[in-house]
Amino acid sequence: MAEQLSPSHVERWVHGFVDTVEESGEYLTDLDRRSGDGDFGTNMVTALRRARRAMAGVEATTVGVPFQVTGETFLAHSGGTSGPLFGMWFRDFGKVGADAGALTLAMLAEATENGWATVARLGSAEVGDRTMVDAIAPASVALNKAVGDGSGLVEGLRSAAEAARVGAEGTSELLGRRGRTSYVGESALGSPDPGAVTIALFYRAAVESATA
Amino acid sequence: MYGSPNTVAGPRSVPVRRQFINEPGDIVSEALEGFAAAWPHHVRLNDEPAYVARARPAADKVAVVSGGGSGHEPLHVGFVGTGMLDAAVPGAVFASPTAVQIRDASMAADTGRGVVHVVKNYTGDVLNFRIAGELLADEGVRSDIVLVDDDLATDTGDSGGPGRRGTAAVVAVEKVCGAAAERGADLEALTALGRRVAAHSRTLSVALAAGAHPGQSSPSFELPGDEIEFGVGIHGERARERRAFGPTGELVPQMVSPLVKALGLERGERVIAIVNGLGATHDLELYGVFGEVRRFLGGAGIDIARTLVGSYVTSLDMAGCSVTLVRADEEVLDLWDAPAATPALTW
Repeated sequence: MAEQLSPSHVERWVHGFVDTVEESGEYLTDLDRRSGDGDFGTNMVTALRRARRAMAGVEATTVGVPFQVTGETFLAHSGGTSGPLFGMWFRDFGKVGADAGALTLAMLAEATENGWATVARLGSAEVGDRTMVDAIAPASVALNKAVGDGSGLVEGLRSAAEAARVGAEGTSELLGRRGRTSYVGESALGSPDPGAVTIALFYRAAVESATA
Repeated sequence: MYGSPNTVAGPRSVPVRRQFINEPGDIVSEALEGFAAAWPHHVRLNDEPAYVARARPAADKVAVVSGGGSGHEPLHVGFVGTGMLDAAVPGAVFASPTAVQIRDASMAADTGRGVVHVVKNYTGDVLNFRIAGELLADEGVRSDIVLVDDDLATDTGDSGGPGRRGTAAVVAVEKVCGAAAERGADLEALTALGRRVAAHSRTLSVALAAGAHPGQSSPSFELPGDEIEFGVGIHGERARERRAFGPTGELVPQMVSPLVKALGLERGERVIAIVNGLGATHDLELYGVFGEVRRFLGGAGIDIARTLVGSYVTSLDMAGCSVTLVRADEEVLDLWDAPAATPALTW
């Protein structure tokens, strides 16, 4: 089990994330149909497939590269609201890893915290608004705690993935104020926000890449 | 993302709209190609990512860049040229352009003095322009946003909501900012000027019939013959309110009176009046509407200092019009009168 993520770990992480979103595409779209306009899963899969093709043409010379390529792909091809926010999320991971040959738990905590700030700022979303922030925030808290406790990389990532999963599931109980559900209200209750679920899948893929 | 597409008409239904189209998905790129080819002395088209820039880029001035969904033509690409925009960024029909499109267009237009983004207030547009601003900052390019939010129909007074939509006042903001940029105004002055024009503009729009999305054979909603949609936006959506259809002389005062009130216009004040067609309304009717606007404002003692009548900010082939009033002072009128040479507006 790795104590740092190498560029090839990160490539595996992002590819694994693309795979798991592809597998969950219909589920995510179904969740979005209850809360938004029903195109979330399709858009996400389309953008991530495009990112995978773009990554194939670029050598991961640093741990930031796969995230940078993914972020730029989202920002170049997604004109809605979720896509660009995910683009900026990946971009923050790309920035932290821009010049680094390996990704440590502290760097992952930093990227998550920066990404949280970015998405909250641009999306005007706070915890409890039933958005991706409801998965990001607990993951960030878990990562910072793991760094403070001196936890190992895998242990820290596991705690983040678990916190994001619980946070995403908790959105089932939330009424949207800012995100896509702000127009449909109570009819979305009972199913989680697809953006938050996608963030949980992102950290699950991180754990899998580090333990494979 | 803004309009709701219709279900495909069944084999027995009679198409109510026919369009000049190859494939619905190709209409935006084909139209852009045609547009750029038709105005080679004014504009050039960049392919990937798509944006329209001046054929002869300006030197040593703040760049004025705008953009938004397609389906509002001639907005925004029609206003690229001397005295108005340096570049315009088209999205898909009724969908925001992407942040990378905006970033690349802005970098191409930047002369080193920064970029003003003129943005109509819609969630997707605002988000992608804000992101573009952050991407530009990373590249060392200064930029700022002038938000246009003139639609009185969406003035709910709710500070936590999305706010008023941006509609036809965007033409006034682009004209005035474009002229000031040409005269050498800096980024801060231009931003302040644009915000002042936007803050002093209000618009109300009515629809007589909905438009149809490219490839859709029926309009996005049906209206009974004796009703109008009062307070529509520019994305084919219905308004919050339906009112009785009637002669222009009865409809126009219902549009203009709330504008005068919202702007707090008093006797003796001057305005720029914009009567804008929403896509399928003839100039004959629009000038008829302007006649009534003039009659009403004359009665209120408000001076129409300048006028623009025509279809500039459209909603596909929606039948209807908007009336915009912009409070005008000497500076704004002087900039309004400054020369412009663009495909859609030249004087």
